[in-house]
Amino acid sequence: MEMAATAPDSPLERAAARASNHRVTDLRARGEPFTWLLGGCLSLGVVMIIGFLLLVLWNGFLTFVPQKIAVVTSKDGKVIAGEAFRAERFRPAPDVLAALTPDERSAVAKGDGMIGRTLYRVANFDLYGEDFKWVIDPDVKSVEYPADMVIVERLEWGPFIGRVEAITLDGKAVEGNDLKAPAVVKAHEEARERWARMREIERDEIGALNHDLEVARLDVRRAELKYGADSPQQRAALTELDRVTKDMQSQFARLTAEVQALRSTSDKYSVTFADIGDREKVVPLANIVRAYRPNALTFGEQVGVYFSRWGEFLTAEPREANTEGGVMPAIFGTLAMTLLMVIVVAPFGVITALYLREYAKQGRLVSFVRISVNNLAGVPSIVYGVFGLGFFAYVVGGTIDSLFFPERLPNPTFGTGGLMWAAFTLALLTVPVVIVATEEALAAVPRSMREGSLACGASKWQTIRNIVLPRAMPGVMTGIILAMARGAGEVAPLMLVGVVKLAPGLPIDGIFPYVHLERSFMHLGFHIFDVGFQSRNSEAGKPMVFVTTVLLITLVAVMNAAAIVIRSRLKRRFAGSQF
Amino acid sequence: MNQSNIFKFAIAALASSVAAGEAGALDVDAAIPSYTKSAGVDGSLKSIGSDTLNNLMTLWAEGFSKQYPNVKIEIEGKGSGTAPPALIAGTSQFGPMSRPMKAGESDDFERKYGYKPTAIRTAVDSLAVFVHKDNPVKCLSLTQVDAMFSKTRKKGAKADAVKWGDVGVTGEWADKPISLYGRNSASGTYGYFKEVALGDGDYKDTVKEQPGSSAVVQGISSDKYAIGYSGVGYKTADVKTVPIAAKDAGACYDASPENAYAGNYPITRFLYVYVNKNPQKPLEPVRAEFVKYVLSKQGQEGVIKDGFYPLPPKVAADDKKTLGLN
Repeated sequence: MEMAATAPDSPLERAAARASNHRVTDLRARGEPFTWLLGGCLSLGVVMIIGFLLLVLWNGFLTFVPQKIAVVTSKDGKVIAGEAFRAERFRPAPDVLAALTPDERSAVAKGDGMIGRTLYRVANFDLYGEDFKWVIDPDVKSVEYPADMVIVERLEWGPFIGRVEAITLDGKAVEGNDLKAPAVVKAHEEARERWARMREIERDEIGALNHDLEVARLDVRRAELKYGADSPQQRAALTELDRVTKDMQSQFARLTAEVQALRSTSDKYSVTFADIGDREKVVPLANIVRAYRPNALTFGEQVGVYFSRWGEFLTAEPREANTEGGVMPAIFGTLAMTLLMVIVVAPFGVITALYLREYAKQGRLVSFVRISVNNLAGVPSIVYGVFGLGFFAYVVGGTIDSLFFPERLPNPTFGTGGLMWAAFTLALLTVPVVIVATEEALAAVPRSMREGSLACGASKWQTIRNIVLPRAMPGVMTGIILAMARGAGEVAPLMLVGVVKLAPGLPIDGIFPYVHLERSFMHLGFHIFDVGFQSRNSEAGKPMVFVTTVLLITLVAVMNAAAIVIRSRLKRRFAGSQF
Repeated sequence: MNQSNIFKFAIAALASSVAAGEAGALDVDAAIPSYTKSAGVDGSLKSIGSDTLNNLMTLWAEGFSKQYPNVKIEIEGKGSGTAPPALIAGTSQFGPMSRPMKAGESDDFERKYGYKPTAIRTAVDSLAVFVHKDNPVKCLSLTQVDAMFSKTRKKGAKADAVKWGDVGVTGEWADKPISLYGRNSASGTYGYFKEVALGDGDYKDTVKEQPGSSAVVQGISSDKYAIGYSGVGYKTADVKTVPIAAKDAGACYDASPENAYAGNYPITRFLYVYVNKNPQKPLEPVRAEFVKYVLSKQGQEGVIKDGFYPLPPKVAADDKKTLGLN
């Protein structure tokens, strides 16, 4: 065809055309262009994945590296102190240019017409009302890195950058203003311990007391609903409530006294800091998470700060509307929800696939069901969220509430989003994956093995249980791994069925019945969305987004790796017994 | 009714009593009392409503649980429009809203309970008009803002504004197209801006609707020719606020606390929290204490922490009186 289209005239041209045509045919015959195409596509995909991972990991792992504090003096005498956050070049507006000296202007004009600027994280939000400041390069007179600059990570108001003015321990001023002095370090540790103890009393011990009180109060309400007001049962419950209340009051007084004592001790320990403009700020020692001199850190100390920040991130609770502190509740919530989802989806999917493949009569109905299952995989996840909210939370949950928890109404128990409904919704979302994978795995078990088993006199169920299912197990596991990976990374439907910005308690704790499936929970995926798009200062939230992303990817990878290990063990177990 | 006028009326008289602190940072007025803990407060609270108030509610919840560790508070913030249905259905105890409730919403509430929901003013916010930090624009009048954002131009602008030159920017910016950012329609910020800046006109279809206040600011930081609106608390170093004049050729006022308190900045608003309070009965302890906390020194410090402006003491005292709290 191509020959006809080009129609060469001279013999020479004809020969050349034949030669080139020959080469093309040759290449085609060997399938070379397709190999290249496939290879190209594959490497493009791999490069994109690696690039994405590198970007996330690079940003994520650098976030906690302690940065130096620059003290920038501008030409008009203003001084700011902060960490250089990022730098860029921009085309200055006329009024910016007008503010420059003639020399600088001509320098800019001689260049590409751009000037540089650097964004400094100046912190001290309580003093400045902003966290970041841009400084343009021509304005800078000098940049210094004084060794005595301190960065203080506080429990409230975000970080503080400045110098130590005075240290007060036990009401007395300490000489030297050295944060690394053994006495100060020891006092800080003690202050943090006191703080932790206060939290423990307030949250766990007083929380447990209140829980008992709540239970007694609900008992009264339940008795009232069941037997009517003023019935003997209700009076008995009321007496019990009185007893619990009295008991609680005495314990409450004791705990409050302990907290008071701790607090008044804590008040005697504080550090006075001054910002670069000499404005002072007194920070109680117990409110300091860590304070260090980034410009004077040795390499070992830098590593120490780095890992201590990671430790805080992984084990602490979030504070300041999720922009600081850790993500422990979110890690916990993600894990709990994913595992619960697997527990629901695995038997459900496997049983469905078993029936479809082994028992159902292959006909129009079964293929219709199969098509429906495949289509389910293509439904947008938010639709599952709406379904979960409407069906699970409102209909099923509402019914459970009115049957089993009438005393708590109108406050919903199961009638609102929660861990269980979220897991159910995601199970629904991922069940097609498990069904399809299991069906494939069942189909791959050799017919000869089934027939052998049946010939030995085993029943159909015995054959499935002892011969088919064990050999299909690796394939089933693959399906579950895929389902888990999809479930752990899903956010949109969760926002409707139980994930919240700040959950008051973990879904598993020390209060009976220990696992609270009705509680709302925090999730790493939602945390990324929240910090990235909802926090007050999106700039300050950016590094946290990367760290949380690294964490979520790691979590999914670890869960998958665990499942893969189990799968390969299963495979090995049956490798020898195959024909 | 024009809300901006109500706001001016409410706040101009109080302007003198509020003084901003030194250089950028605000202080809570000394006349606002510190919070004192009371006994026997427990239970659980749920708040559903405004996204603008989402962080603020979280800060209050964190502070409140420091006082009452046993009180459990859950917060959902998907837009002011989600607050009234949740209050009516009883699924939430607090309905934070960045705009006052519409008549229809409060009627729906009244139909179920027989009384109106109670509004608590919790913070002052200048609804800021943000542009990219390199944008040379010095001042915009509400008419110009309307010409940029609205297709109906109810404020009386003669021509549509699609290029920066149309609103008086000269030089290389003059022929650059204006890129619009806004909020989604469930947001109170969307509703308030529509009412005050657009004179209840309609937004252009080209406005890029963002799911959160912070997302608007992020959109503007990465789009050089962008303009958008959001609570002033969401300002970052990559955007700047444009001074706004109420009338063409009128005086321009920046979105600063002083201008907000003096009633000069034309799109200033209160941020509300709505509660279901039966006028015949006092609030139960846990809700009453939460409201007291919000209106206390500590609660108002949270407002500053989140970048908004604290209430003048008279407003806080008035709202406490309305709720029968001392």
